[in-house]
Amino acid sequence: MEMLIPIIVTLVGAATPILIAALGELVAEKSGVLNLGVEGMMLVGAIAGFVAQFYTGNPYLALLCGAFAGAAVSLIFAFLTLSLSANQTATGLALTIFGTGLSALAGAPYSAKPIALMAPLFPDMLARDPFWRVLFGYSFPVYFSFFMVAAIWWFLKRTRTGLILRAVGENDHSAHSIGYSVVGVRYAAVVFGGAMAGIAGACFPLLLTPQWAESMTAGRGWIAVALVVFASWRPLRLLAGAYLFGLVMTMELYAKAGGGVLAIIPSELWAALPYLATIAVLVLISLRRDASTNAPACLGKPFMPAN
Amino acid sequence: MTLSRRDILKIGGAAAALPLLGGTAFAQEKLKVGFIYVGTINDNGYNYGHNQGRIFLQDALGDAVETTYVENVPEGPDCERVLRELAQQGNKLIFATSFGFGDAVIKVAAEFPDVKFEHATGYMKADNVGLYNARFYEGRAVCGTIAGHLSKTGKAAYIGSFPIPEVVMGINALALSGRRINPAFTVKPVYISTWNDPAKEGDAARALIDQGVDIIAQHTDGPAALQVAQERGIVGGFGQGADMSAFAPEAQLTAIIDHWGPHYVNSAKAVIAGTWTAGDTWEGLKEEVVQMGAYNKKIPADVVADAEKIRTGQIDGSFKIFTGPIKDNTGAERVAAGVAMTDAELLSMDWYVEGVGQPV
Amino acid sequence: MQFRLEKRAEPSRFMLYATPVGAVILTMIVGAIIFSLIGYDGIGAVREVFLTPLTNAYKWQDLGIKAAPLIIIGTGLSIAYRANVWNIGAEGQFVVGALAGTWVALATYTMSGPWILPLMILAGVVGGALYAAIPALLKTRLNVNEILTSLMLTYASIQLIYYLIRTVWKDPMGIGFPQTRRFAASAQLPTVIPHTIVHLGVPIAIVVALVAWFIMSRSVFGYRMRVVGAAPHAARYGGFSENKTIWLAMLVSGGLAGLAGVLEVAGPFQRMVPGFATGYGFTAIIVAFLGRLNPLGVIFAGIVLAITFVGGEVAQTTIKLPDAATGIFQAMVLFFLLAGDILVRYRIRRVVTTPAGAA
Repeated sequence: MEMLIPIIVTLVGAATPILIAALGELVAEKSGVLNLGVEGMMLVGAIAGFVAQFYTGNPYLALLCGAFAGAAVSLIFAFLTLSLSANQTATGLALTIFGTGLSALAGAPYSAKPIALMAPLFPDMLARDPFWRVLFGYSFPVYFSFFMVAAIWWFLKRTRTGLILRAVGENDHSAHSIGYSVVGVRYAAVVFGGAMAGIAGACFPLLLTPQWAESMTAGRGWIAVALVVFASWRPLRLLAGAYLFGLVMTMELYAKAGGGVLAIIPSELWAALPYLATIAVLVLISLRRDASTNAPACLGKPFMPAN
Repeated sequence: MTLSRRDILKIGGAAAALPLLGGTAFAQEKLKVGFIYVGTINDNGYNYGHNQGRIFLQDALGDAVETTYVENVPEGPDCERVLRELAQQGNKLIFATSFGFGDAVIKVAAEFPDVKFEHATGYMKADNVGLYNARFYEGRAVCGTIAGHLSKTGKAAYIGSFPIPEVVMGINALALSGRRINPAFTVKPVYISTWNDPAKEGDAARALIDQGVDIIAQHTDGPAALQVAQERGIVGGFGQGADMSAFAPEAQLTAIIDHWGPHYVNSAKAVIAGTWTAGDTWEGLKEEVVQMGAYNKKIPADVVADAEKIRTGQIDGSFKIFTGPIKDNTGAERVAAGVAMTDAELLSMDWYVEGVGQPV
Repeated sequence: MQFRLEKRAEPSRFMLYATPVGAVILTMIVGAIIFSLIGYDGIGAVREVFLTPLTNAYKWQDLGIKAAPLIIIGTGLSIAYRANVWNIGAEGQFVVGALAGTWVALATYTMSGPWILPLMILAGVVGGALYAAIPALLKTRLNVNEILTSLMLTYASIQLIYYLIRTVWKDPMGIGFPQTRRFAASAQLPTVIPHTIVHLGVPIAIVVALVAWFIMSRSVFGYRMRVVGAAPHAARYGGFSENKTIWLAMLVSGGLAGLAGVLEVAGPFQRMVPGFATGYGFTAIIVAFLGRLNPLGVIFAGIVLAITFVGGEVAQTTIKLPDAATGIFQAMVLFFLLAGDILVRYRIRRVVTTPAGAA
């Protein structure tokens, strides 16, 4: 039990950015758009968040700047795929390459500069308590991620706008014919996804390591994309999935640090494990009968109304 | 910043270059010097250190040299191309600063016999390919002394990327010197299979601290582990490659600073004077290629004195950390009492000394 | 006055070929402006990145060996993408192909003979194809998204390199560094032009692209791939099995990526090192698109991307342009190309509104 609390605390830190980015991607995919540029948007969000924190010291502003930056680059993707109906796979990959380059260029002057970590949301009495920190020891984005899981679940399930969004993702032509703007809805969903990826990126310098390093998200954007499929497009499962992944990543380090049975697994296998686990889970999910029916029917397909 | 040893060296270097300028500068063109780095110059670590060396060279020799660098050069054919490019652009002295550039250096050097190459941390020489390396482990011995004194739990950790000899030497030097002070001192090595994933480094540090480790050394390019040490308020850690006190003012006990500048100045001067030969240097604290950062104010004076003794002992040659008796971590004696390990033995070290946990 | 998009009855062949060229030119213009605005020598950047590698004859050999793997992988990917099979894990198949070739090279280390190299190449192709068979199997049997599985396997393959060269394949003479020994002479790819570094992989790349072009445009196999990609329902009606096509697409693209991998390890590297995977498999995705999923176009696109890599390094040394600029240029080429795609299928019509609206 004594060991469990620190593991949970580290695990929450590892899972939060992945969860936030994946929630954004889930909304975009629900509207029928597959954006593979999450990694690039996260990096742009990370550098924007870092710079804002560096100059203002206000982490909320930094998160906001990360969101804006992520949303801004997602507009490139939205314009190409939605207004010009370009191939979504290729555009997403280009966005990742672009975001990686842009963030490296913008971040070059900031490499040797530290910033302050975001402080826990709750007063020290709770946040620093050896036991209660497991619930209250985190800063804002952690609670934000939980809130967003609930909010997105509610939005998709219970609101009219959510219904429209799902309709656009399931059958764009009928949604269009009853008068909804397919392209408009998708723009909104993509930009929301970009903003969430930007916040997720900003979590890296604000929550995990208060510095800027090139490509500091180190492939977690891809895990976020995989998680959405893993969760079969359900927000609550996304929450479970993100924590399962966080656990795999965290267990590696605790096993190596602590020794024991798990420590006999070679380092390289540990490093590959999150990716192999993704495949394993995708397989397990697909064995379920309802698996294929849950993917948005129009996912990845461009929409062009026949005028 | 106040005037540091580095600045004084800089001025000294410039003054030393003056007579050369008077003698040959008019007859000769500027010496063009090229550098290739495996990572970004903004890594705050290894590549940053080499680039600082380049800047040092440029400042020291001023108009006599013109330096160029290429960053993020992958090891392999890409490196070969960049080396050729630099040679073709008229660089007469080229520093290849990563182990993995070795094959390419040998290949390209054969095509450009009038260009001098120097390869850092490698082992393949040629008429126009010299080798240079730094005894980082000497710095680790100083760190280990501090760690042995200050660690309350007697448990230190060492976060590395891959188990290459340089990292193994560093782990062993830390353990040997720590155990001189505290025989129960142990070092836990953790390899994370990546050079650049600060979040993973940070999480590794968190996991280690949760297991009772209160000293963290890291051998990756960046300050992530030190930042966690700072955040958690453990005894501390050590900067690697560069002074990282800006990132962890409380936690950085001292730093091992790569200071390639003087070596670069010497090589460039030798090329200008026409006296360059393919050398094989492995320099350390004595030559100031490895420097120690300032000791943290929280370290008691007697500990600083002990650490200084190790530092100066390695400078005057009276102390060698890899001197027997040394047992490995299975208990077998590897080095007999009073025998010092040779450079060749050190450079291929692939076993861990007593007190080091065996990584998988 | 307003513009309106109008669907063409048939895709414009002119636009199909003009847009990639336009994308490159537009990237040069916009790139020059953007890099000037942020304080670099923008015109110099474009000159060094896009033109110097072409005008300096000494650089051509570099372009050749950089473009060869891009062309081989890009050809395979263009065939797969034509069939709507989204293999984005070519990097992993490239790595596994190279590892398979390395295995042969190390197993035959003490032997010699002209049969070793062909055997390595065969092993590379088979290795790449087998690694691609995993996503193919999962896709056809369980309908698991191949984009994700192929990508995840890429990350795993890189760890496989690390593991093998750290343990069983470690060079006994390498002073403890994790890399294999240098291949014996019979396991090294020969150069084809004396006094250059142009190795056998370069002509192989051209041949692969030409053969692929011929097959895709002239054979039943090519027809079937194109039909399945363009109109899956019609294809099913015509008796083409979708699963068979997925298998073919994955095996061909994986096999070619594996071929590129073994050529790369036997040619320029001549041993397996930790830094072997430098992203050819990912860049080849851009190459496939820039080449319009046509093997002949892939040759052109492979050379363009090779130019940006080689030129990016030139620009670092001559005008101190940071390395990150190369990625930005590459992404811009792809953005403009994808934006231009619409001109292939649509034409822009000017719609004249009434003067009253304008006043």
